[in-house]
Amino acid sequence: MDPRKNNSDQMQIENDCRQAKRCGRRDFLKGAAKAAAVGGAAMLTGCGTNMFGSSEEMSLRWKEYFKKNYRLMTQEEKIETVRRLEQLAKIKKGVNIQMSSRSPIEGVLFGYAFNVTRCEGFMECVAACVKENNLDRKSKTQYIRIFEMEHGQMSPEVGNGKYFHEVPVEDHFYMGVQCFHCQNAPCIKACPTKATWQEPDGIVVVDYDWCIGCRYCMAACPYYGRRFNWNEPRVPLKEMTQKQHYLGNRMRAKGQIEKCTFCVQRSREGRMPACVEACPTGARVFGNLLDPDSEIRFVLKHKKVFRWKEDLATDPKFWYFID
Amino acid sequence: MKTPTLKNRFWNIIPALLILFSGSPAYSTDDGVVQIYKNATPPFDDQKQVDAVRPLAVNSVQVTERYQGGHFWTETRKDKLQRFSCSQCHNNKPVTIRRAAEVAHGDIVLKHGSASRPLSCYTCHKKDERDFLVTEQGMKVDMDHSYQMCGQCHFRQKKDWVGGAHGKRISYWAGQRLVKNCTGCHDPHSPLFKKRWPATYSPPLTKNK
Repeated sequence: MDPRKNNSDQMQIENDCRQAKRCGRRDFLKGAAKAAAVGGAAMLTGCGTNMFGSSEEMSLRWKEYFKKNYRLMTQEEKIETVRRLEQLAKIKKGVNIQMSSRSPIEGVLFGYAFNVTRCEGFMECVAACVKENNLDRKSKTQYIRIFEMEHGQMSPEVGNGKYFHEVPVEDHFYMGVQCFHCQNAPCIKACPTKATWQEPDGIVVVDYDWCIGCRYCMAACPYYGRRFNWNEPRVPLKEMTQKQHYLGNRMRAKGQIEKCTFCVQRSREGRMPACVEACPTGARVFGNLLDPDSEIRFVLKHKKVFRWKEDLATDPKFWYFID
Repeated sequence: MKTPTLKNRFWNIIPALLILFSGSPAYSTDDGVVQIYKNATPPFDDQKQVDAVRPLAVNSVQVTERYQGGHFWTETRKDKLQRFSCSQCHNNKPVTIRRAAEVAHGDIVLKHGSASRPLSCYTCHKKDERDFLVTEQGMKVDMDHSYQMCGQCHFRQKKDWVGGAHGKRISYWAGQRLVKNCTGCHDPHSPLFKKRWPATYSPPLTKNK
């Protein structure tokens, strides 16, 4: 299509406006949208190739820009979107990623338990999480934080979250904190764009592309469970986890919120989250709350469990327990 | 005499109502996650529901005990021991081995049990049964089933291990339950985890601190 036609279109709109002398905002926008659409189409067919990369990339990015919220997509649209993101990653970064849009398993509600007695503060879980979830290496984003606490302390808010010495230290215990996937999550209520919600399997997820970066959810979360991308996340291509999920560890952009997703790309395949798998002391228990035979249910039934800030009625699906 | 009006009766009822409901909490306990899982209808067949789970690895062995969900499996031990079976060397025939001093168990550090009553080699290994462990009651225990040996003293941990509060599952939360053996995490000769540096560190939350 001829870009000149686009120009003439726009001029016509302006002329129309001048003639009518009552150019309302709505009329102007209508005309502008029309012109933009024509212009966009012109770009796709070759105009601006040098500026925006290949026409294939341009077309993918164009479609990507107009995609729906993940929850409104049909299964076909989800698959299409995921394929598009795979292609885009290949064009832009040259990595072969496999992205999934696997839906939640029926009859599953994920629960997590953390053994305060067993954790020795080795922080293998943190390292595994950073690697698995493609977290920003530049700003050292971490979903998990381990607090070194003295005996008698009850809340991680008074613990030492930045220890770096040989562990475990005598007369101390260690308490890990991450997103607790509250059943009654305050962050979801705070989000103005419905970019975050709870999946039927209990995982609180973020549609990164619908996040506007207002950080209301961060302010609403009483557990400091959310992380904000202050800069464009940087992950060395060699270290990138290529098995990704749309709601999980796919690459985020600057200005988007991210958080622990119980490794949705792993847990929906029946695998353990990276932190559970990495834990050298077996302090982390993960499983299906709706399965009466699961380990997590055994812990809840037979152990002394507590939840952090239970009085806030956020109903987290993350329990601490002691041996 | 005046008959009590409807309004008066209503006011009379209020103290009674207050006493009646004083025991119930102001918040609802019906829709919490605790109630959700307590109402969960068994059974959940995760082997059918979760299609991505791979079948059990070859190097696994069925545990002789059952957990709440039936049989479960643990990792084998014998194939990980460098010089099994023990009776290759420990037999009545004279054997000549090159580098015998290195091959002998000089590298083993035994730090098990309390300082006043430490365990010795012969607490678990016996002269007559080189390829097996022998419990205090004289029961022969296969090396793959070492949990039976550890469970003599650490019965609480064993109970938790069978149920799922101690130890850990391998790779999958779904499918057939495959857990780490005691020796998968603990060195049986010095079972306490050693002090070491953490794998990474957390940056301070604020610059001022």
